[in-house]
Amino acid sequence: MGNCKCDNPYLPYPATIKEVIDETVDVKSFQMVFDDPEVMESFKQQPGQVAQISIFGVGEATISITSSPTRKGILEFSVKKVGQLTAALHDLGPGSRVGVRGPYGNHFPYEIMKGRDLLFVGGGIGLAPLRSLIDFVLAGENRKEFGKVEIIYGARSVDDLCFKYDILDNWPKYDNTDVYVTIDRADMAWQGHVGFVPSYLEEVKPSPLNKYAITCGPPIMIKFVLQALNKMGFQDGQIITTLEMKMKCGIGKCGRCNIGSKFVCLDGPVFTLSQLKELPPEF
Amino acid sequence: MEKLFISRDSLKKLLDRLARNLNLVAPVKDPEGIIMFGPVADAGQVLLEYQNSTLPPKSFFFPQTERLFKFSYGQEGMALEDMCGSDKRVLFGVHPCDLKSILSLDPVFAGAYKDPYYINKRENSAIIGLACSNPSPGCFCATFGFGPDDGEGSDIMLTPSGKGFDADVLTDKGQEIVASYKDLFEKAGDSPRIAGETRLTVKKLDLTGIKELLDGNFELEYWNQVFEKCLGCGICTYVCPTCHCFDIYDSSKGGCDGERYRSWDSCMFTHFTMMAGGHNPRPSKKERVRNRFMHKLKYHIDRYGLAGCVGCGRCVKSCPVNIDIRRIISDLGEVSRNGQL
Repeated sequence: MGNCKCDNPYLPYPATIKEVIDETVDVKSFQMVFDDPEVMESFKQQPGQVAQISIFGVGEATISITSSPTRKGILEFSVKKVGQLTAALHDLGPGSRVGVRGPYGNHFPYEIMKGRDLLFVGGGIGLAPLRSLIDFVLAGENRKEFGKVEIIYGARSVDDLCFKYDILDNWPKYDNTDVYVTIDRADMAWQGHVGFVPSYLEEVKPSPLNKYAITCGPPIMIKFVLQALNKMGFQDGQIITTLEMKMKCGIGKCGRCNIGSKFVCLDGPVFTLSQLKELPPEF
Repeated sequence: MEKLFISRDSLKKLLDRLARNLNLVAPVKDPEGIIMFGPVADAGQVLLEYQNSTLPPKSFFFPQTERLFKFSYGQEGMALEDMCGSDKRVLFGVHPCDLKSILSLDPVFAGAYKDPYYINKRENSAIIGLACSNPSPGCFCATFGFGPDDGEGSDIMLTPSGKGFDADVLTDKGQEIVASYKDLFEKAGDSPRIAGETRLTVKKLDLTGIKELLDGNFELEYWNQVFEKCLGCGICTYVCPTCHCFDIYDSSKGGCDGERYRSWDSCMFTHFTMMAGGHNPRPSKKERVRNRFMHKLKYHIDRYGLAGCVGCGRCVKSCPVNIDIRRIISDLGEVSRNGQL
């Protein structure tokens, strides 16, 4: 045994957590670096792709990569504490050893978005995968390849807003970039908008002209955002979302992330609404 | 393709020598009377005529539980030891349905990401097929366009003929075996092949219109009639030669050292698709039962161009509440013709 000398996609690359950022009471961002600098160099993810994070002895989970590929030398994952692996990850700090394999899945089709305006609609931790594309679009020379950027983001409360430094500080500073933030319930400490994301979207009423809308959030939010976008005149091909399914292998073998004949790990996680409407309504 | 013949006596010698020189895996009867594929030391144990084994030989390529790698923290940091690899092996006596099932699994484990554990075992194994001379009443392989004497997927295919077996040598691997044991093979005679007749006894169901029906109808009233009696025990997936779903998990006695494994899993279990946050896209037996049959009759075909069922009849025999894929096929045919049952 152990005599096989082939490439083994199940083997994670050892990595170390460099920094942990507390986003909310149950969301942390983990900045990781591969122990082997050559792996760090050759790991080329695209915005919207995912990776498998290992905590050896606990297991593995599929997490979207929230950092843009334009940010070199580091991978960032924003993780909500919901299950065993994510709870164990939340217990780790700088210096902790983990494993990462990937990148997996398709990516946001930024190639076809060039020259267009972009509308991002996110809820809660759903901003994490969108952020890889937002930062990609805003980064350096890339910015002038895209038109106006609008970001509508909401969470249950002020305390549940992720990436406050980006939504309140960094992103609004970019040219031709508008950020709209809302929380579900009124709060003494909040001067901004109060209301659910889908209704705020209808209030802001971005024009569908020459624009792609990219959305991610809790399933119920996505459902109403898609309806609202359609109502506002966005065509199905202009609407892009990224799906979550339970995954184990990440490479189309273990069989659990299928929606109809598609595996979300290989054929997704990014789908246009027209592609989704071709699939069985099972997500 | 070379057509040879091997007498019963010579076949016994061949099995003896294969058992001695390589790892021989063949159908044997355990003390409880259960027929299983297992390692064989004595050729006398090998069954030359049997009805399908309780479990398919799939586990010799895709074991029920398989260690993927070991991990340990050392001074150099994290160290992983890859456990991928296998010894040379001859799988003897594989029936045509099980041969076909392996061909159905191959593209799952190939593709953009090659599964080295499966592929390594496939490459290191030779398969000697055996025509099925006594299909069981639950068998319906003919439905999927082949019969009990179809050798596709084997390296050498044996079919009872006269006082022995015709041996069709189908691949280079088969040729290698024949070359190593030349003295045991002779030129094929003209005795008729016995399995030619058994072909006629195997049930052939009509698949006309079923794929088209499922392509166009995710929601079918019919599923409501099927799922309710399902107990969700998962035995259908456990005995199925084409099911490939697995779980991945770690085993560690605390500290820094441990191992990562994979084990067969089942789409019939609630937790199979349950996400950590609590959302489950297939929350009830209805969605899970539908997914299993859609996988066998549509999804696998869409994805790989191959049927996801080979008509081996194992799930039919094992299901404690008689959910019968043959019945489902004929019912779906009826629905596609008449719009209802």
